[in-house]
Amino acid sequence: MTKSIFVDPNEMRKKGEIKFENIKVNEYQKKVKDVTDEFSKDDFKRIYRDMWYIREFETMLNLIKTTNSYEGMEYNNPGPAHLAIGQEAAYVGQAYDLTIDDFSFGSHRAHGEVLAKGLSAIEKLSDEELIKIMEEFDEGKIYKIIKENTDTDDVKEIARDFYLYGFLAEIFAKETGFSKGLGGSMHAYFLPFGLYPNNAIVGGSAPIATGAALFKRANKKKGIVISNCGDGAIGCGPVYESMNFASMDQLRGLWEEGYNGGLPIIYNVFNNSYGMGGQTKGETMAYDMVARLGAGVTPNQMHAERVDGYNPLAVIDAYRRKRKIVEDGEGPVLLEVITYRFTGHSPSDASTYRTKEEVAAWEAQDSIIDFGNQMIEAGICDEKDLKDIELKVREDIKKAVKLSIDPEISPRMDLDNHPELMENIMFSDEKIVNRDESRTPEINLEDNPRVNAISRKVRSAYDKDGKAVSKNKTFQIRDGLFEAILEGYKNDSTLIAYGEECRDWGGAFAVYRGLTEALPYHRLFNSPISEAAIAGTAVGYAMAGGRVIAELMYADFIGRCGDEVFNQMAKWHAMSAGVLKIPVILRLPVGNKYGAQHSQDWSGLCTHIPGLKVVYPNTPYDAKGLMNSALRGTDPVIFVESQKMYDKGEEFEAEVPEGYYEVEFGEPSIKRKGTDVTILTIGPTLYTAIEAADKLSEYGISAEVIDARSLVPFNYEVVIESVKKTGKIILASDAVTRGSHLQDMASNITRLAFDYLDGPPVVVGAKNWITPAHELDHTFFPQPEWIVDAFHENIMPIPGYSPSHNFTDTELIRESKLGV
Amino acid sequence: MATGVIMPRQGQSVESCIITKWNVKKGDSVNEGDVLFEYETDKAAFEEEAKVSGTVLEILAEEGDDVPCLDTVCVIGNEGEDISEFLSASSGSEEENEANEEVKEEKEEVALVSTGRGDEEKISPRAKMMAEEKNLDLSKAVPTGPDGRIIERDVLTLAKNGFKIVKGEDKKEVCDAVDVNVANNAEIAEYEDIKHSNVRKVIAKSMHASLTSMAQLTFNRSFDATAMMSYRKSLKKSSEAMGLVNITINDIIMYAVSRTLLDHKSFNAHYDDEKLRVFNDVNLGMAVDTPRGLLVPTIFGANNMSLNEISIRAKELGSMAGEGKISPDLLTGASFTVSNLGSFGIESFTPIVNPPQTGILGVCGLTDKVKVVDGNIVAYKSMNLSLTCDHRAVDGADAARLLKDLCENLENFSALLAK
Repeated sequence: MTKSIFVDPNEMRKKGEIKFENIKVNEYQKKVKDVTDEFSKDDFKRIYRDMWYIREFETMLNLIKTTNSYEGMEYNNPGPAHLAIGQEAAYVGQAYDLTIDDFSFGSHRAHGEVLAKGLSAIEKLSDEELIKIMEEFDEGKIYKIIKENTDTDDVKEIARDFYLYGFLAEIFAKETGFSKGLGGSMHAYFLPFGLYPNNAIVGGSAPIATGAALFKRANKKKGIVISNCGDGAIGCGPVYESMNFASMDQLRGLWEEGYNGGLPIIYNVFNNSYGMGGQTKGETMAYDMVARLGAGVTPNQMHAERVDGYNPLAVIDAYRRKRKIVEDGEGPVLLEVITYRFTGHSPSDASTYRTKEEVAAWEAQDSIIDFGNQMIEAGICDEKDLKDIELKVREDIKKAVKLSIDPEISPRMDLDNHPELMENIMFSDEKIVNRDESRTPEINLEDNPRVNAISRKVRSAYDKDGKAVSKNKTFQIRDGLFEAILEGYKNDSTLIAYGEECRDWGGAFAVYRGLTEALPYHRLFNSPISEAAIAGTAVGYAMAGGRVIAELMYADFIGRCGDEVFNQMAKWHAMSAGVLKIPVILRLPVGNKYGAQHSQDWSGLCTHIPGLKVVYPNTPYDAKGLMNSALRGTDPVIFVESQKMYDKGEEFEAEVPEGYYEVEFGEPSIKRKGTDVTILTIGPTLYTAIEAADKLSEYGISAEVIDARSLVPFNYEVVIESVKKTGKIILASDAVTRGSHLQDMASNITRLAFDYLDGPPVVVGAKNWITPAHELDHTFFPQPEWIVDAFHENIMPIPGYSPSHNFTDTELIRESKLGV
Repeated sequence: MATGVIMPRQGQSVESCIITKWNVKKGDSVNEGDVLFEYETDKAAFEEEAKVSGTVLEILAEEGDDVPCLDTVCVIGNEGEDISEFLSASSGSEEENEANEEVKEEKEEVALVSTGRGDEEKISPRAKMMAEEKNLDLSKAVPTGPDGRIIERDVLTLAKNGFKIVKGEDKKEVCDAVDVNVANNAEIAEYEDIKHSNVRKVIAKSMHASLTSMAQLTFNRSFDATAMMSYRKSLKKSSEAMGLVNITINDIIMYAVSRTLLDHKSFNAHYDDEKLRVFNDVNLGMAVDTPRGLLVPTIFGANNMSLNEISIRAKELGSMAGEGKISPDLLTGASFTVSNLGSFGIESFTPIVNPPQTGILGVCGLTDKVKVVDGNIVAYKSMNLSLTCDHRAVDGADAARLLKDLCENLENFSALLAK
């Protein structure tokens, strides 16, 4: 309990000073000759060889990009290629000791990371393990291609060919690539080797990697997580949010024995001195050295260090030391690895921001050549040996190019004739109860105060005599959510929930009240006020194998995690060609009463993004049923809730069942039957529409009220059947009218029911203004009479009715001209 | 071996680059690393360094040239080497060209269809469907929807009002009766729907526009056709000898019109709300009855043509119009029109002005009339002319004067010819 932490005024006000430890800079200075007892000759040759794989691979891509040709083979690659010629030592050093249990996440410039970690994994895995991986990956398709085109029996050689080919085919957008070409250069990964997706958004991997580390910590999984980025990413807020999230005091101070300790993650910054064209040190950043930042995050300074990434031995050494720290729960670690890219940001980069002399100076210290010279100096090998290694690498790359550019062997996904290939991977649509059956869910429901309180409640808004039950005695929407979430906790050992004020407080709106008593810290905790970290870590947690409910206290805060929700949560399932599953339920409570930045229904922003399911329940029955569905599902769900509705009882169903049931995503619900006009609502406007229906009935007009409940997916058939009957439809929600999801629905309904329409579908939303103060809500949010007004003005004039609000076409044109 | 230097591809979106400066010229010797030329895209400027040493054997693009990426821009090698392979390189792969052609074809197909605007009347789709199902005449519906739209309830009212027309007490029975009547009528009346040809549609549109936009009225006057007839008769005899075509009465009238009209300029004109455009030459429209409908080809500069020339031109235009082979250019531009229904025995009619012209002359058939000459009753051939004019452009007296002059010229046709 956080009440155990006493904020002592005497302590807080005491005079003192903060002390810092010195941060080591390029401490390691050993060369090959100094460590011949630590590494075998083969080890050195492997380091040298792997650096060459990266060098040659990147050189090949550069030639193909700039000349459409490599070693006499012609190919045009329109996709991106952010190359890292010059950075090889840093990658190989990092990957040298990593195992497939160590997850690595990277950036847009990650070909080197992918190659180094894969080659390292191939060295460590047995032949049997490699064959199993190759046979099982994508039903053995890549393995078959390699076997048919090789004359060697050496499994490791075949595995290297397999890896180079699968990676290159992915870059060339071929169906035989690791993600069927749907990820491409900037998003390549290979799960069986512990390689998680690289990310085209600068700094985008940091929260996701942190979430994967959280998964390892909360589910006692072995291995550590590497979060790679460049120095440019240090300017990104989510990177800092992630480092803080991974270091939270509670991890060491409050989490239970066995789960405590900083998250097992190393934030690795490949510092090549440039964030695209902006020079970090001296121009765009203030840190002087990236390693300094560790001192700003934790008292242990994140064990930060600057390491010479031009010396692969220095990086290997650093990783051996830092791994131990992280495994002991003393992480996270911040590691700055110095490197330099000879090539531009991309092949179209004219390098106008640096001098030739600077590039030449780094080339003069080329890590590969230098390492080769050191090997000769130490008597490991001679020049011919080195040349042989280089030539062998070139042959391997040539093989991969030859196969991957061959349109017969390596075709593209046939989306012209089979768009269903993509349709089928936008969502996984599976039902999985427990994502990790090897573990038992940790929960203690003994004498739970919330469960007891709910057991005494009436599970309907009305008692047996049809009289309204008082709020406190009614089973409310928040209770429906609670029951479903509790059920999820009981069944899925990986399920965790977090957000701001989730523990102790029970969430700002008391949905989680009672869970604090039932759950250990690692299953329910308070996050920092870091929405990017909340949403981003949830993506990583799910990607690594868990299920998570993340909460943004107000829907408005989605702006704080736009990338994490719109680019990461929504896309990774499809970008991984359906391999990665992202069962994240992002709870999005829509506020009210708190003005312009705390009361916006932004569900329309979410429905615009392909890959997100979006639901918005408004009754206890629907809330429980939809949350149950969400918690068994395997896809990201934006779970929109209305704060003003949390205390609503069930007014439509006879009662909310105590047992488990699901409300299927996509099915709208007819809340009131009628014959003359259909009112389709999203969100709490359901109740506004019910009031409007009452008003209309005074004029002899019978309204049918349908709650969409689910925005994505959505079954239009229910609505179209209703419109065929009534010929008239009004769509209403509290979202501002322009760009509201209702506009999309209105457009589709117009098309699907055109011949049956007696008037245009009319959208009644909030004004295109900022939300004014609560006292002025009636001027901004749709009111029951607005719905009647819109009906009268646009669909069917009601004799004797005078509208209170201007819904004429002229007004719409006038407002549009003003942009309001 | 000589080496071609290509224009590098600086990013996938870049298809070509502009050479901004050559630092070498043909015959120069260059070392690896020397800057050969400078070039730029819309985003940035670059320098291209020599990758080999040697002599610049050929320069294939000049400063300012926009060179497709990967095209060879110069050749470096040893003096005297064969560089012919670089000179024939062409830009753009076949694949790309094919793709372009395909796109073009598709576009052409799309351009064919254009849709016209529907009824001005506003009817909801539901009301329209319901009216069709019930076979109701929507023009009798009273719109009560927003902005005068006929909506479902108006169709229901219409159906209900149907009861009142037919006498009866039982609503159900009456309702059936309405439906049965409609159905019976539909069965009894046999008909065939003939879709309008384009010519028909054009005629319909322009004639309707003419009558709705102008202030038209028609004047009739007849003239003694004796002189004209005897002149024609004389022509018939000598036509072959003189190399003349068969000159018709209509040709003669058109000739007379072409010579009379320039004294009545407001009839040889186009009218719009701002001005009257008066023409110096008489571009005479002649109405031709064709299997496709009415066509009006133009005899340009009729006032400068002889009677024989007018006759030849009229025959050419008539046969082209009849065969449907006439150029659209010849169907516009007339300053005045002559329409002849004389051969059908029409004695008087009200021809419709072709906008923006200000008048049209209707030529009627020959009739027998009598008149008193020197106290004796004399029979003679008379012909009626019907002149419609646009009263916005001209007044009644103007029209009367034109008709008078025209009739007098025709009555003294030989004198007119002599002018």
